[in-house]
Amino acid sequence: MSTAELTGDLRSRVRPDRVHGSLYTDPDVYARELERIWYSTWVYVGHTSEVPQPNDYVRKHIGPQQVVLTRDRTGAIHVLHNRCSHRGNLVCDADRGNSSSFRCPYHGWTFANTGELLGFPFNQGYGGAQAKERLSGLGAAPRVESYRGFVFASLAAEGPTLREHLGAAAERIDQLCRLSPEGEVELTAGWVRHEVTANWKMLVENETDGYHPQFVHSSIFSISGSGIGALYSDKSTAVTRALGGGHSENDLSPEFRRLGVPMGWSGTPESKIPDYAAAMRATYGAETGDEIMINGSPHVMIFPNLFIAEIQLFVIQPVAVDRTVQHVTAIQFAGAPDLNRRLVTQCVGSVGPAGMLLADDAEMYERNQRGVAQRQPEWLDLSRGLARERTDEHGFTVGTATDETSMRAMWAHYLTLMDPA
Amino acid sequence: MDDVGVVASEFATVRVSLDTQGNSPRLRLEDLRSGAVRFLDALELESIVWAPEGFLRELLDPSRHRWRDDGSEGCGP
Amino acid sequence: MTAAAQHIVDGTPAPQEHTAAPGDPIPLAEAEAFLYREARLADAWELEAWEALWTDDATYYVPVDDSADPRTTMSIIFDNRNRIATRIKQLRTGKRHAQRPLSRLCRSVTNVEVLDHEGGDTVVTSVVQVLESRDRGSTWWVGRVTHRLRRVDGAVRMAAKKVVLVDSDRALPSMSFLL
Repeated sequence: MSTAELTGDLRSRVRPDRVHGSLYTDPDVYARELERIWYSTWVYVGHTSEVPQPNDYVRKHIGPQQVVLTRDRTGAIHVLHNRCSHRGNLVCDADRGNSSSFRCPYHGWTFANTGELLGFPFNQGYGGAQAKERLSGLGAAPRVESYRGFVFASLAAEGPTLREHLGAAAERIDQLCRLSPEGEVELTAGWVRHEVTANWKMLVENETDGYHPQFVHSSIFSISGSGIGALYSDKSTAVTRALGGGHSENDLSPEFRRLGVPMGWSGTPESKIPDYAAAMRATYGAETGDEIMINGSPHVMIFPNLFIAEIQLFVIQPVAVDRTVQHVTAIQFAGAPDLNRRLVTQCVGSVGPAGMLLADDAEMYERNQRGVAQRQPEWLDLSRGLARERTDEHGFTVGTATDETSMRAMWAHYLTLMDPA
Repeated sequence: MDDVGVVASEFATVRVSLDTQGNSPRLRLEDLRSGAVRFLDALELESIVWAPEGFLRELLDPSRHRWRDDGSEGCGP
Repeated sequence: MTAAAQHIVDGTPAPQEHTAAPGDPIPLAEAEAFLYREARLADAWELEAWEALWTDDATYYVPVDDSADPRTTMSIIFDNRNRIATRIKQLRTGKRHAQRPLSRLCRSVTNVEVLDHEGGDTVVTSVVQVLESRDRGSTWWVGRVTHRLRRVDGAVRMAAKKVVLVDSDRALPSMSFLL
């Protein structure tokens, strides 16, 4: 089967046990993904802790779209397109700021941080101030919702609610927030931006691929005495779980429970963060507090762009069919200053362009992108663990720690969006 | 004159200071991008505190005072 | 090799007539020679020799935002001495995939000035430009560098190195070589 014959027919390119290489390289597929995934479904944009005060704003993105996440005077959150309604100029330059209104530098058109047009210079040319009524303001995402501070937007006016979209993944956000003695996550540590020459789905698939760590990350595991490698082996009791909606996780908690040590998952012994451990037990009670600290933080990929990896949070931004930016920050827990500092230090060592983990992942994405451009054998195999998958007590499909259950589920969901039957 | 500081965003840059030249203190606002200066006394400030939201929204309309077709600029201090 | 020959080969300063005291300022020529040597060792992947240039309390810092506190804010690199050692060890495993094969590097160090002398350390600023060649393509890395140099047992060592890349807050490709 040649690539030419496949044009437009995505179902023939996604099979239960394999996908066609053109899905990572075909500009037409990418264009359709932007329309049917990135500009239709719920996409993670930012966190309310990034705009804590009335009139705060931060620049964000929905794939290649530049948006501004604002909190208005009343506290409501908006996601606005960064595009003046006059001549299409970019309105906001700064990464972040505080302003009730935005003024375009080109001709001075001025907009409220709700997107409403407030006015323009020399308005007689438009017949006076009342022209505001007929001229448009900044484009706004028609649907913006947040879940526990995580703000998502959909550029489609209609569709499933955010809660429906998140499904079981919402519980993973709950699990993350419970690690704060105040029940809240704060994304206040700033961002590192890492660009890779690879299609965005290479990243999504890798995030919950438990097969690669012992190969790609063996260099750092071997010298740091990290136990992470063992978590992703065939002997591990950890599982890969498809959570529905294209979301997936590596659930390492069975291993952490076996270990039974509070904060054992984090690599930071409790003795180094006594204030945090005390605050957790004070909030949740000794038994539940210990349980939360033993179970650890989720490792979950929320389709299509939010990856929570225990102590760090990644936002995946496709910018071209073969270029993707990964934005990463250290997760900070409200009420946990001693833990938070350690998380920044740990995270900086691991992620970003020089990260001792992520630079190796990035190398694999890029090698993969160059590899799939080669003509034969056309397909990428997804069959690992297909024969040993099971359904767990909650009805989710589960594979072993190293199985490709999450990828198969991602592609199945992908088809429902890209090529609805 | 006590310098309070510069209030700046990507859209405007204003130096704020407390002016004590007069018989009561006044707030001195200097638009550092144009050099225009405005003084606000205590009662004026109090009035702004009590002004409805729509009052500021109207001020933010560029045609309202600063860029008017009749060539008249917003009144100075 | 005699000290004089070493000086001719790689610019290592010939021993001075009088022994410099540990806290004495490091003169410009000696600072420059140190920077060039460090650059040459990094380009040539002389990992052990490069690592030996650091003091025991060293920090190696590549910020995203130079005005932020690296203890509470994300950086591209913020290594203490232990983590510098880990970084080197990782490269030496031969399984640091981002450096398989090793990047081909050539850097120039320019605009060297001695800025200050504080607490026994000499603060030196310079500009670095590195051409990194990999299979993915070539990347031009440019930044303003600040070194804190200190004389330890008669030899110049670096107690801190900070590289503020021109595009530090933009999306950067992988940077897994020694900057």
